[in-house]
Amino acid sequence: MALLNLSSPHHHSLNRTSRLMMWVLLATVPGLLAQSYWFGYGTVINLIWACALAVTFEALVLWLRKRPIKPFISDGSALVTAFLLALALPPFSPWWLTLVAVLFAIVFAKHLYGGLGNNPFNPAMVGYALCLIAFPVSMTQWAGTENTLNLAQQWQWFWTETLSGGIDGYTQATPLDLMRHTKGLTLGELAATNPVLGLGLSASAWINAAYLVGGLGLLALRIFTWHAPVAMLASLGLCAGLFHMGEPDLYPSASQHLFSGATMLAAFFIVTDPVTSATSRKGKLIFGAGVGLLVFIIRSYGAYPDAFAFAILLMNLAAPLIDTYTQPKAYGHQGNKDNER
Amino acid sequence: MGRVWPFHGGVHPPENKLQSNQSAIVPMPVPKQLVLPLNQHIGAPAKCLIEVGTKVLKGQLIASAQGFVSANLHAPSSGIITAIEERTLPHPSALMDLCIVIDTDGQDQWVDHAGIDPLSVHKGKLLQCIRSAGITGMGGAGFPSAVKLQAKSKINTLIINAAECEPYITADDRLIREYSEQIIAGIQIIRQLLDQPACIIGIEDNKAEAIAILSQALTGIDGIAVAVIPTKYPSGGEKQLIQILTGQQVPHGGIPADLGLVCHNVGTAKAIADAVLLGQPLISRVTTVTGKAAAKAGNYQVLIGTQVSDLMAFAEVDLAATSRLVMGGPMMGFTLTDHQVSVVKSTNCILASSELELAPVADHHACIRCGQCEVVCPAELLPQQLFWFAKAEEFDKAQSHNLADCIECGACAWVCPSQIPLVQYYRFAKGRVKTLHAETQLAEHARLRFETREQRLIDEKLAKEEKRKARAVAAAAAQAAKRAANPDAEDPIAAALARVNQQKQAAATSFTAEPPEDAYKALKTAAAITRTKLKKSSKALTDALASGHEQVESLQTTVDQLTLKADAAKAALSAYETKLGLDPEHEKQLQVTAAKAGAVVRKLEKSLATAEDAAAIEAQIVIAKTAHATANQALETYQHKSTALQQQTQES
Repeated sequence: MALLNLSSPHHHSLNRTSRLMMWVLLATVPGLLAQSYWFGYGTVINLIWACALAVTFEALVLWLRKRPIKPFISDGSALVTAFLLALALPPFSPWWLTLVAVLFAIVFAKHLYGGLGNNPFNPAMVGYALCLIAFPVSMTQWAGTENTLNLAQQWQWFWTETLSGGIDGYTQATPLDLMRHTKGLTLGELAATNPVLGLGLSASAWINAAYLVGGLGLLALRIFTWHAPVAMLASLGLCAGLFHMGEPDLYPSASQHLFSGATMLAAFFIVTDPVTSATSRKGKLIFGAGVGLLVFIIRSYGAYPDAFAFAILLMNLAAPLIDTYTQPKAYGHQGNKDNER
Repeated sequence: MGRVWPFHGGVHPPENKLQSNQSAIVPMPVPKQLVLPLNQHIGAPAKCLIEVGTKVLKGQLIASAQGFVSANLHAPSSGIITAIEERTLPHPSALMDLCIVIDTDGQDQWVDHAGIDPLSVHKGKLLQCIRSAGITGMGGAGFPSAVKLQAKSKINTLIINAAECEPYITADDRLIREYSEQIIAGIQIIRQLLDQPACIIGIEDNKAEAIAILSQALTGIDGIAVAVIPTKYPSGGEKQLIQILTGQQVPHGGIPADLGLVCHNVGTAKAIADAVLLGQPLISRVTTVTGKAAAKAGNYQVLIGTQVSDLMAFAEVDLAATSRLVMGGPMMGFTLTDHQVSVVKSTNCILASSELELAPVADHHACIRCGQCEVVCPAELLPQQLFWFAKAEEFDKAQSHNLADCIECGACAWVCPSQIPLVQYYRFAKGRVKTLHAETQLAEHARLRFETREQRLIDEKLAKEEKRKARAVAAAAAQAAKRAANPDAEDPIAAALARVNQQKQAAATSFTAEPPEDAYKALKTAAAITRTKLKKSSKALTDALASGHEQVESLQTTVDQLTLKADAAKAALSAYETKLGLDPEHEKQLQVTAAKAGAVVRKLEKSLATAEDAAAIEAQIVIAKTAHATANQALETYQHKSTALQQQTQES
């Protein structure tokens, strides 16, 4: 047998990119189930549609870029983008909204920047932010929790955007939305007058808890380190807690912030995207804390009820700078001040 | 049991030690031929001492160390030198270099040798004994051991590396189990040389039997402790082991001795004991032969210079089933494509792996910066960043991210989910940095040479000038001497200089005073100018007063000042005139008279053209002309007189 001539190491762990991606996909399942339980079949339909689109676009662009298609499709990164988008989009998203989001995520945000590993912005968040700005009505059409569509109705809405009896009976503002437009009521009064808020809050708390479970699973598997998610949740919780202590009637509590909207989905599945976040452990702490802070600011004072997409894209922009200033000290450089950066 | 500190990163690859550590070390019979590279160590290659055809005995010195960092080489068995030629080296480059080839005679006849009692000799003798035995680090790097035993600074702790963290390799494990007494003796010799530092033997906890044997052998011996460390690759890296056993990090660019530490391999300790106590130079070592293709995997006592092919044949390696032949361990070893290479002093393992035993050759995927490499990097680098920099050939950035601190352990590449051969990228970057550095040095050298040449040219010029000046001084001195010999003779140069000076002075005096007419004229002009200015200002003042202008006051001041000036100029003029005894009024009268006379003459001449009585008029003209001439005469006389007066005043 001809002897191989290779560079060391000659051994390799069983660790593979596709395996990492598969674990990430699996970890979203609790959240997906919870979301479907509270909001109906919309998310599942969107998920399947988004996956089909993502793989198609990925293959198409790889073919145009004259790259090998099979190894890149099989790494599962396109599926992760599709999952994150489908989970983040409202359950009432019509087919074209998902299409636009996936198209932008895969073709523009990912491949036009050089494909996997080279994109400076999180593809799913680019697709999401684009739709949020371009189609604000569709993007804020959240399903109600007490009155969900059946599969046939959802299917009809998905393709035609029409519904016998109209959609209005089924949509409802999200708790974050309600808390923003209080019409002069304090949060306590609001909760008393609007039972939907209480129900919505509990739904969103359950969904967030489900994502938290999935995220902790990934952490246990060491798919990512704890730094970015913990920093994000801590900074969001800290900001919310401080403001709530000062003005409890105006600012929701830390737990309401942490367990509503897309907090946990972002903390464990988006902030942890290695490609677009900071590199070192210290950098990840800064990155996560920055996202948490921006989320709090945008939720409290911005024009959008929940704006993880913007917070994350802004921090994506800052990641290279963070990297520059958070280079860890190498072995033997402990006493060396020059190496501090 | 010593305290143990953690180190950053590390991985847990499958250990695969059981294949080779279950049986005792087997001495391999003397092969037919031994090939000994002259450079088996870090430093200068040894110098060949024998010629082709020489008969050598086992343990005979055949090549001697050249310089401080180098090592002797001895014949591992008796036989005849059949060639001194270039052979393929056991090195990743597979380059050729000079090797001594010995055809063994099978007698294995020892040269005269005898051990010494280390306690009865002084340090120098002991060190000389170790140095002449040609002992180099047995762990892999192959640094001449005697150099590390001549500590320049105080050594507080001796670390014996028995970690053997690479998978598959069990040579040290078996060595400890079978030669613990010799190892401890070697350690005591090292301690004696380094003034009895405390000794810690670092050994991974996956070698339970070796630990037990070692601990038992150490009962009753003070100063040597066994530290059982967690099994984690690369705990056996010198820097990592130092951190595990002392909690300290070897400073960047420094050596362990900077911390009062020195580190030796357990195999080196045994070799030192053999050299001192038995007088045997380093001519053989324990090498693990393992891998699925080796039917008799185990550890072998192998003579240095044994061909890998002979060793594999002895260990019944199925070459047909071997897909990858690695010298060293699977993490840091290098592949051999030619098995006609020698086992050298640092060869601790031959790994003959079957096709699926080691990671298959895989296409690597894109880096997703997952950061798992960073988590496992024992040097605490950012391997993913280094990879991007190496790929983009941004070597300055790679260097600022401490590329040089990479120990090439391969933990990052082992864990990489995209299966990127990271270490290869770092080796490439290191090589390029080295080349670029060499080029910079060359350029710097050229610059220095150029500048030195320029300076030399300037110096030569200056030296020439100096010589010229010296010659001039000498000539002047000669002149002076000549003058001294003949003092009456006039110095022609001095005379000429004096003449020139005289002329210069004369010229200077003639220009010192202003001509008198000029002074008088200047005074007159000044008086006239001030008068004119005064007139203008007065007129402006009158106008301003008439129109009620606001600047009246300032104009008034100007006029006052000008009046004063005009008076002063007039006074100066008249003072000058009085001083000279001049009378301008008189001169004016004379001028007027002359002019009037002239006018009369011109009038008469005009009327002559139309006159009827020409004769009468002509007579009048003659009278008028006479009067004119008289007036002119008077004026001229006066002017002459005044000029003379002025000159007189000036000269006085």
